[in-house]
Parts: sequence; C-alpha cells; structure tokens
Amino acid sequence: MRGTIATLALGLAASSLAGCYRGDSAMGATVGLGEDGDGDGGDEIPAELEPAPAALRLLLQRQHVNAIRDLLGEEAAAVASPPPNFALNGFDSVGASQQALSDAEIDAFEHSARAVTEAAAAAGSLSTWLACDPAVSGPETCMDQVVGSFGRRAWRRPLSDDEVARYSAVGTAAAADLGSFELGMQEAMAAMLQSPYFIYQVEIGEPDPDDPTRRRLTQHELATRMSFFLVDTLPDAELLADADAGRLSDADGIREAAWRLLERPEARRSLAEFFGEVWRLRDLLSLPKDLGVFPQWSPALAESMRMETAALVEDLVWEQDADFLEVFTADYSFVNAQLGFHYGLPGAVDLGELPTRVALAGHDKRAGLFGHASFQALLAHVSTTSPTLRGKFVLENILCRTVPPPPPGVVTDLPDTGDARTMRERLELHMSEPSCSGCHSMMDPIGFGLENYDSIGRFRTEDDGYPIDASAELDGTPFDGAAGLGAIVAQTPGTASCLVHNLYRHATGHVETEGEQVAMDALEEAFEESGHRMQDLMVEIVASPAFRVVAEPE
Amino acid sequence: MVSKRLQLSRRTMLRGMVGGSVVALALPPLEAMLDAHGEAHADGSGLPRRLVTWFWGNGVALADPGNAGGPLRFFPGETGPSYTLTPQLQPFAAVRDYVSVLSGYRVAASYPLRRGHHDGCAILSGHPFIELPPGSANYASKFGGPTVDQVVAEEIGGQTFLPSIQLAVSRRIISSEGFSLQFISHKGPDQPLSQIFDPREAWDRLFASFTAPEDPSKPHRLAALDAVMEDAAQLKGRVSTNDGYRLDAHLDAVAQLRSQIDALAPACEIPPPTTQANDEVGGNEPLEEVNRAMSDLLALAFACDITRVASVQFTGSVGYTVYHMLGQSMGHHDMTHDGGLNDAVDAATIETMANLAYLLEALSLTSEGTGNLLDNSVVFASSDASSGLSHSVENMPVVVAGGGGGALAHPGVHLRNDGGNSSDILLSCARTVCPELPQIGGGPGLSTSTVAGLMA
Repeated sequence: MRGTIATLALGLAASSLAGCYRGDSAMGATVGLGEDGDGDGGDEIPAELEPAPAALRLLLQRQHVNAIRDLLGEEAAAVASPPPNFALNGFDSVGASQQALSDAEIDAFEHSARAVTEAAAAAGSLSTWLACDPAVSGPETCMDQVVGSFGRRAWRRPLSDDEVARYSAVGTAAAADLGSFELGMQEAMAAMLQSPYFIYQVEIGEPDPDDPTRRRLTQHELATRMSFFLVDTLPDAELLADADAGRLSDADGIREAAWRLLERPEARRSLAEFFGEVWRLRDLLSLPKDLGVFPQWSPALAESMRMETAALVEDLVWEQDADFLEVFTADYSFVNAQLGFHYGLPGAVDLGELPTRVALAGHDKRAGLFGHASFQALLAHVSTTSPTLRGKFVLENILCRTVPPPPPGVVTDLPDTGDARTMRERLELHMSEPSCSGCHSMMDPIGFGLENYDSIGRFRTEDDGYPIDASAELDGTPFDGAAGLGAIVAQTPGTASCLVHNLYRHATGHVETEGEQVAMDALEEAFEESGHRMQDLMVEIVASPAFRVVAEPE
Repeated sequence: MVSKRLQLSRRTMLRGMVGGSVVALALPPLEAMLDAHGEAHADGSGLPRRLVTWFWGNGVALADPGNAGGPLRFFPGETGPSYTLTPQLQPFAAVRDYVSVLSGYRVAASYPLRRGHHDGCAILSGHPFIELPPGSANYASKFGGPTVDQVVAEEIGGQTFLPSIQLAVSRRIISSEGFSLQFISHKGPDQPLSQIFDPREAWDRLFASFTAPEDPSKPHRLAALDAVMEDAAQLKGRVSTNDGYRLDAHLDAVAQLRSQIDALAPACEIPPPTTQANDEVGGNEPLEEVNRAMSDLLALAFACDITRVASVQFTGSVGYTVYHMLGQSMGHHDMTHDGGLNDAVDAATIETMANLAYLLEALSLTSEGTGNLLDNSVVFASSDASSGLSHSVENMPVVVAGGGGGALAHPGVHLRNDGGNSSDILLSCARTVCPELPQIGGGPGLSTSTVAGLMA
C-alpha cells in the first residue's frame, strides 16, 4: 500500500510522501527558536534568508475597487468592475501573482476605467484633482500637474517625466478634441487606470544600501505591499509621506506605520476578507443545499451564519485584542434571531437582525468555530453531512497538514454499504478498504466527532433514525462535539503555525519557500510571544525581513 | 510593440476590400462571398470552419458498478458507421450522421502525473498538467500547455472579431484546486480563459462590443491603449522572464482590444438581446434554459462569423451540479463516487448528452451555403474521467460531431482503439480547421497523427 501512495505522489514534495500517518505534519510542529532578540525589534536580516522572487501581482478585485473609491469617490467605486480573481494554492493573492491576463480581463479593465472616470466626472469628484487653472498656467502644464498628482496616488509612487508626458499627451489631445479640459482629464485618468502600474503591484526592488548583495523593496513598493495587505487599498497620504521620507527602512518604522494603519476601519474589513477566504465564509451566500431536505435554507440564513463567524473574529481581534486561539474555544457567540431559532437557543425571541453576543454555556456541545453553522454547512454535502470534508478541512486549513489525494485508478466507491445505517457506519466501511484507510483514517475520525451537527448546522442525535455515535479523536486525543475538538485544536502547536503561514501567503502572494523558513520561524515565535494576538501578527508580518526583501528578477 | 495577432489581416477580413475602398459587407456576410454553387468564397477559399470543445465533469456511468474497471454503458457494441444508438447516445438521433463516438482512448498526457480529475482534464490539451508545489497549502494544478481550442484560435482567431469565446452553463464548479479544474480553455499554464456563465453577458460580448466609427471617444480610447502598451513594454525590461511572458500576454490582449475598437462592426443582423439569466430558481440552476440560450447564441455568432472557436463548460470537473430536472438532489461529483447511484449517474449522462445534442441541432438548423453550420464545424466533447467512480483516464467517453467542412467521416462512426492516445482525436479535430497543424500536446500526450477512421 505504501508503494501505491508513493507512486501517485511523484512530483510532490518529499515531505508529503509520508503524509498518511496520523499526527504527521508536513510542516512539523515548529517550536520557537528560543533565541531571544536583543530588544532592537529584530531588525537584522538573517544571513540564511533567501527571499522569494518578486512577481507582478494583480490588485485583488476588492483592492482595485477600494483604490478607485480612494481616488475618485463612492460613485466611481460603485461602477468599478475589475475582473474576478482566480485562486491558486487556496489564495486569490497567489493566483494574482501568477495569472497572465487575457482579452476578457483587459476588456473588463478598460470598461471599468472608463465607467469610473465618467461617474467621477458626473459626481464632481474628478475635478478635486484639478489644482491649477488651465487658462492661467496653460493646458499642457496644468494637465502635467493633474497627471503627476493623480499618478502619484494611483500608482503609489512619483511618476517619471516621461510617464507624465505620456499621459498628459492623452489628456491634452482629448481636451482639445472634445473642447473641455475636464473631459481631457477624464481621458488621461481612464488611461492611467489601465496602466500595469495601477493594475499590478509592481515590485522591482533596489539594492539594499546596508548589504549590496541583497535587494529590498523600494520604500514606495513596501508602502504599497503593506497597505494592500493591511487595509486592502492604496497607501494613504501619510504612508506615502513615510515612503518619501524613508521612514519604512527599518522594522520599527514599519511597525509604527502598520499600527497606524490598523486603526483604520479598513483593516478590520481586510482581515475579515482573509478569513472569508481561508475559512471559505464568502462561499456561504452561494452555497447550495437540497431544499427538499432543508426547506428553511435561504440566503438570509446563510448570511446569518456568515455573520456569526465574522463577528466572533472581529470581537477577538479588534474588540478584545485577545488570544486568537480562543476562536476555537469561545463559550459564547454572536447570533441573530434567525440563527438563534435555528440553533434552538432559549433567548432567540429577544434577538434582532444583527448578531448579538450570547452565552452558549455548553449548549449542544457548541463552542468556537467548529460549533458554528457556517463551518458545518460549508463542509457538508447538499443533503448529508460529510465527516470526510470536515476532517480534511481541519487538517488542511486549520493545521496545514497535507492530505494525499485518492490513489488514481482506485475506486472511490464505498464498499457495499447495505447494512450501514449511519454516515459513520458507511465511512467506517470505507476505512476498512486498504487503499482508502491510510488517508481516510486521518480525516474521517475528526468528522465523526461532529456528526451531531447536520448539513445546515442543526444539532441532532440521530442520523436517518439511528442514534449517532460522536465519539472521536484527533492525534490520539478523544473528543465528542465541537467544543471538544476546539479545545484540542487550540492546544495543538500546528494551529498557530498554520495561521501564521496562511496569513503570510495571503500577504505576500506566494507559498513560503524553504529559504524563507528562518523568517517563518521568527514569525511563529513572535505570534506566540504576543499571546496569539492577530493584530501583532499582522504588524510582525509586514516588519518581517521576508516581507521587505526580494530576489533579483530572473 | 506590435503583437503577432495585429499583423494578421483582421481589418481586411472584417471589411470587404473593393478597389482599395472599404465597403460594408452585405447580409449575411458570408453569402456575398459564395460562388454559384454556394460552397466557397468568391476567391475560391472554403467556407469558414469552426471548432467547439464541449465538456462535462465526472465521466459517465459504468456498465456494472461492481466492476469499476469494466466497460461503460455509453458505448455501442458495434463499431463502424451503423452503430446502435445506446440510450446515452439516443439524444443524437436527429443529427446522428454527424456524430462519431470514440472508445478505448486514454489520456496519454496524464501519465507522468496522476491525480484524479486533474489528470483527466489534460484530455483538452494533450499536455501533462503542472502541479504547484503545495507545501502545506492547498493543492492546485495548472494546464501544461494550451487547450486545443486555443491552439486553433492562435492560428485563425485573428480572422474574426473575437478570436474565441468561452461559455459555461453550470456555476457549480470547483475553484479551490487551481486553474485545471476551474477552466476548460487555457492559452498556457498561467493563462486560463474565464468563462461566461450568463447568456446576457455572452450576448454583450458577442453582439454589443462593437465601436461605431463615429464614436467620439474612439481616438482617445486608442490613445489610452497606446500609452498603456508603452508602459507595459518598458516594464517588461525590468521584470523576471516569467513576468515578461505575463506582460506579453497583457500586451497581446491590449492589442486585441485595440483592433476590436478599430474594427468595423460585422455587417450582419444583430439578434435581439437575450433575456435568459443564469440565476437559481427555487434553489435550482436553470441548466437547460441556459444551455439553450448559449447554444443559440453560439449558432448566431458563427453565422455572423464573429468568432470561429468556442468552448462550452456544461458542468465542471469535480462539479457539484445537481440534475434537478431528473428529480435528483445530490451533487453530480458525489453521486458519481457512489456505486449504488450508478443509475442516477446514467440518467445524468443521458441528460448531458441531450444538452449537447441541442447545440448540434442548433448548428444543423442554421443554414450556410448549401448546407448548415454543423457541416462546417467540429465539436469535440468529453470529460475528465471515464467514470467518476474509478477516476480512470482509460477508455474516455469521447464524441466528435460535425462535418468539419467535409474533413470528417460522414456519416459518423464508432471507432474503438484500446489504449489510443486521446491527443490524436484533438489533432484530428484541429486539422479540420488548420490542415497544416503539425502536432498537438506534449510529452507522452504528444500527437502528430490523426485518427484515420475519423477523417473523411
């Protein structure tokens, strides 16, 4: 059997070849290095750090829209229609660093650029970029000024004279042809919003003056990378000024700027988007369920579920600034009336439309994320539960362990399940198949412990009329129900490590490389030292040497 | 910076050149160029030929679910032209002379790397897929090379307003395992082509993206694109080789848009906008309605010669489409993985073929010259596995339909070639449009020879 797995895993990293043993983490349970820094904020760039190569990274769809809002106002953002993102390795930002654009995307960018500038002209926000009088300074000079100031903000850096001239020419020609300076501005801005310098995060880097063998991001590139990660939009004026003044050249300067950004409301939304992606919450609104089996399933119910999880994250990260691992153990949650009735909470009648904090107090063995209907509904089939999907998600997305795929050519069918009455009994037969047991014995036992929650997250004690056995285990530790699983996960070293890795992947647009391990270790240590504060982790990621340096373009 | 595509004579093709002056073509555009026999352009060249790839996910039903390595219900017992229409092929009754069925073929391209579904998707390109180093992150893969539709579009796409179009019916596709499972048209590993799910958007793209010559914004739109191309060309000199390729793609697409803005609208009758949306009704996808709308639009687009290349993703690889019209409530992928549901899988296969048959009939009912659009088209239809239960990439269910402009066997045949390279079928289809195409695919999926019995 091992031979089969090894054969099909050809081409995978060697670490995943041994992947079918319980408790075997591809990443390993990384322990802090135990080397305490000297209190200088850890600004030394470790010699063994081998940075990843920079790549052109498309602004994510939401970042593009937010950038338009910052530049041209709400009316413009409302008609912005950049193309959607395509994920790789589970992250839109990884896909955005690799995707090559095609006709449909370029069409969408042009259409969007023209629509937003037209809307901004109609709303009067376009003219806020006009700080000169073309009749006084002359149309060319005035257009240069508009292009220079708009470009500096939109492209997140000062423009070269050539670049100003290029787009100013578009604007002055249009102004002359259309008989209106403002229409000329509109054309120039529409053009600049189609430039690669707006559409992508462009990271070329520069030689590091402290160590000419290294390349670091330029101040403006770093400000841009920080801003899109922390607040999902362009650098604001203050951050651009920091870049102009070189204040982002050491870790402390970066931390200071980052903490300021975290005070903006956009930081909350940005982190919520991360969890929407990594925990798939954003998929809830289009999640199909069998309405024959679950007539109560509706977009409103799905949204109530999404809000519950989002509210718990928001509470832990931003309201309490608490140990984030409590997200797996919290004995309270945020529930609106619809979800309260769905859960059968005693006080549901007093709840409103917005999520309100309620004590769970052991209700239905619920606590933390695994007790949320969002998790239970997302990781289920349309009409039945899926212990396999739930277990796989815990292993891959919460613990960052590798689960090998089914061996190709091997039948994925459950063996004769005629006598099996419950989902658990059916899957236990699955695990009796030698070709399946290696991986299913990793995944399914975790899901068995959540069998008390049906495909839309209601508590149940029977499956198809037969009593449910929800006794289960993870890494050899027994549990029963969401609270029990959450307590184990919160204590598992791989959980915090996985959060660090996933946030780093999202932040940088690539899956960390071997050469970055030293920086990942340091981030894990910093996260631990902070008591697992997510805000601290966000700041430490942008201050990390790995976030600030790049390899030479090859 | 001039892209390769710009050098093609798109504008000449879109405008009839008479004595050096530009005239709009008569309606419909192709009729004006037919000779007295209605078979060829006035310059002697043949009618345009088209290629469509049509995909459904998760394979078909087994003859015996207890024997996952055994035969499929899909294939007829007999080979040759007078094969029996199995229940799975019965939907093609009205167009059966145009339909060939190929059995026994394997996705040779999938053999260096195996991963269920990802490997089977390689049937569309003939290139082994590329795994992304997963580390501890989610698994993902990309196509190893261009899909057959894009190989053909690269050759002939410059002759029409749109080089190709990508349509889809079911939205319940997988987007979490990379480009391979999400898209069925790829120009290369990093360049998947996104599909249009909403027929109203397809109508916009096909029939409403022309720019009137007198549009006052036209010169400024072109000037903007020229500035953007200068930026991209300069940036290219400062980035990695790989990002340079990405910027080349960016530049090509800008050049394409530029040429479209500059082109005259094709002088054919623009059909009224479709009103069909692709939103769930009572929790159910309007699969048949959307398939009909998309098929009709494709026939109209071919008739207007707006494009000659298309892909249709009816359902996705690992797709969780529910065939609710059959009274089913389970996602298709999960259903195919349960041997006890083989009959339900079979019903879904028959429904899928009925949807494919609608497209074939729509093409056959649109006349062109002395024949119809299907005479001058080839439709390659297949899936990502033989059966979802086995994940096998042997004995793939393949349908090739259409006359291929006379290049394909007519009437259609059932050909059996156990262990044959499925890329040979792709090359056969591609050569109906590009007769000089030397090869398709790569590595063990490389093909340099057509399937003899499939060609006329």
